[in-house]
Amino acid sequence: MSTKTPAAPAKQRAQESRLPNTGSKKRFRAVEPYIWIAPSIILMAIFIVTPIFKVFQLSMNKVTRTGQLKGFNGFENFATVIKDPSFALVLKNTIVWTIAVVVLSTVLGFLLALFLNNEFKGRKIARAIVVFPWATTLVIQASAWKFIVNTDYGTLNTLLKKLGIISASVNWTPTPTAWFAWEIACGIFVTVPFVCFCVLSGLQSIDNSYYEAATVDGAGYFQKLFQITLPLVKSSLTVSTVLNIIYVFNSFPIIWTMTKGDPANHTDTLVTYLYKLAFYNGKQGEASAVSVIGFLILLTCASIYMIYTLRKGDDTL
Amino acid sequence: MKKFLALALALAMTASLAACGGGGGGSSAKQPDNSGSGSGAASNPPAPSGDKVAISVIAAEYGKQTKDWWASFQNEFNSSHDNIDLNVEVVSWNDIYTVVNTRLSNNAAPDILNIDVFADYQADDLLRPIKECVSDETYAKFYDAFLEQSNIDGTIWAIPDLASARAMYYNKDILDAAGVEVPTTWAELKSACEAIKASNPDVYPWGVDMTTDEGQACFAYYSWTNGGDFTDASGSWTLNSDENVEAVEYIVGLVKDGLTNTDPATQTRYDLQELFAAGKLAMMIGPNQISSYVASSDTPINFGIASIPANEGKSTSSVGVMDRFMVFENKDTDAKIDAIKEFFDFFYEDTRYSDWVIMEDFLPATKTGGEIMAAANPDAASWIEIVGSAKFYPTAQAKWADVKQGVIDVEQQALLGGNVKDLLDSLQSQIAG
Repeated sequence: MSTKTPAAPAKQRAQESRLPNTGSKKRFRAVEPYIWIAPSIILMAIFIVTPIFKVFQLSMNKVTRTGQLKGFNGFENFATVIKDPSFALVLKNTIVWTIAVVVLSTVLGFLLALFLNNEFKGRKIARAIVVFPWATTLVIQASAWKFIVNTDYGTLNTLLKKLGIISASVNWTPTPTAWFAWEIACGIFVTVPFVCFCVLSGLQSIDNSYYEAATVDGAGYFQKLFQITLPLVKSSLTVSTVLNIIYVFNSFPIIWTMTKGDPANHTDTLVTYLYKLAFYNGKQGEASAVSVIGFLILLTCASIYMIYTLRKGDDTL
Repeated sequence: MKKFLALALALAMTASLAACGGGGGGSSAKQPDNSGSGSGAASNPPAPSGDKVAISVIAAEYGKQTKDWWASFQNEFNSSHDNIDLNVEVVSWNDIYTVVNTRLSNNAAPDILNIDVFADYQADDLLRPIKECVSDETYAKFYDAFLEQSNIDGTIWAIPDLASARAMYYNKDILDAAGVEVPTTWAELKSACEAIKASNPDVYPWGVDMTTDEGQACFAYYSWTNGGDFTDASGSWTLNSDENVEAVEYIVGLVKDGLTNTDPATQTRYDLQELFAAGKLAMMIGPNQISSYVASSDTPINFGIASIPANEGKSTSSVGVMDRFMVFENKDTDAKIDAIKEFFDFFYEDTRYSDWVIMEDFLPATKTGGEIMAAANPDAASWIEIVGSAKFYPTAQAKWADVKQGVIDVEQQALLGGNVKDLLDSLQSQIAG
């Protein structure tokens, strides 16, 4: 006690002298996180929020071909776009394109991940190969696919001829539907690796003891797949699916490189359609309206999907 | 709370990714803004208080050598004009429209622009009548027919910088093997195609490009050689004329009879050019550059050039394509206008100009340039004659961009089985109505 008594005032003095300092430290701590995220916020404001604001602004203005704004015109651009008969076709194509690519690549990516999760010789090489399509630029991928299915000098015809399966060149793209199917195939090919690696990361975090316990209880392969694997990789699948919906919906290079949406909008999606409207037809107001429509569709889909998933108790996102 | 979180997450993700993927309207310049690098160039139109007048130019990048050529042009010009500071920015064709539009939105128009279209800028009152900006001596060099292509309401708004023309290319060996003469009429063309197909099924007799890039040229080839046109003499649209309907039906008929390349809606003229150079396509219509393209291939084919076949009793016509220089209205001083005149005098100086045109593999738009080129190269002489009599797209019409995409759509719909007459009627009412 005797030792404490003289020390007390000194401690108090020290505390008093530190008080303003502590206060500023507290304030600093309060603003510190904002300082750290400020660069990202500023970058996002410049490169994401501003263009989005600009697109909304253009979509509600009369815009000349040289990009001059000639006054607010409400929803006129939207009305013009929606009245155009090709818009319905393009919207249908976009939905088919997104669903086909996302669903099929999710299924295939999942199966591939299951396969790559097994122990086998050369697994590392197999995984590296799977990354290739993902690591290559989409334009290159699409050009390669266009080259493969080309009637005159395509590698598919050359290969089949060499194998003796066909004698004369086959036109693999006789109709717009055929072109679209090839584009979807290319889309799936480049999307599968992303799904595969998302799922693979989920699979590797599953403790083997679950499977051992299930085996002891007499569970079969499919029971384990549906009762253990699927629920545990669901969060990975959710992330990959939501991201894919957005990526695929907005994907431009594959369709543009292979067909430019031709013939007569039969292979156009909203993104290629709006590009043509803006840069071939000079209708930037209408193009922005299409862009806004696409944005709203995506927002709705992504929101529904995420609310649905989170409501089911999966809050590991 | 979870719902809110989900919505916020979805919004953030959609927003950020939508910005990556789409965003067609949010035009952003991909090129660095160089206009400020000189002495404030375009953004400060009045001449600087110093002794130099700044001129900014945006020029289209035609080929690999364009940038170097303009760089040395700029040096030569600046060293011989002490009172002028010229700054030329060369922009690729892919970006040039976006770059220019972004500059215009920011009130930073270049002084001089080299591009293909001009009517849109004129419609927004952004251009200066070109005659004010070109010396009489230089102005007198242009072919009158070329200047007329930039005439709106009696005023010429742009001068041509170069041109190209189209003609029919044919593979002599394939035609000889099939025992057919070079076709001059539509009927002869069809029978020649049938003979070629019969003699060599691996070869496509006739090349057709109805893609988004060049489908309007296809329309022009057959419409103009059938006495049709996009407009009548008074400038009113005549898209659904009987001649035009017959023209589209003729070419779609050739495609459906299997006498052409398999996929005209997606095979561009560059694909056709490759097939032709590889000896897999017997005949096609194309620009003068094909000659040098084919000649530079490893195994050059034996080819000839002829007029585009016309329908019975109708005259043939070449399709001319022309790019331009235009001057933006930047509240310029007299000194600036004089500097711009100096620029054009320097550019269109005969030797320098013909060097440039030859380097870019195009055809000259000036009479004197044409004479120099014709004297230097006999092959060029016939092309210069063709371009001199070529017809041009009605680019001075404000609705040309809509018409261009419209006729391409008609062709592609017709390929899918649409009725040509109905399609052209509907396009006509949409454009003219």
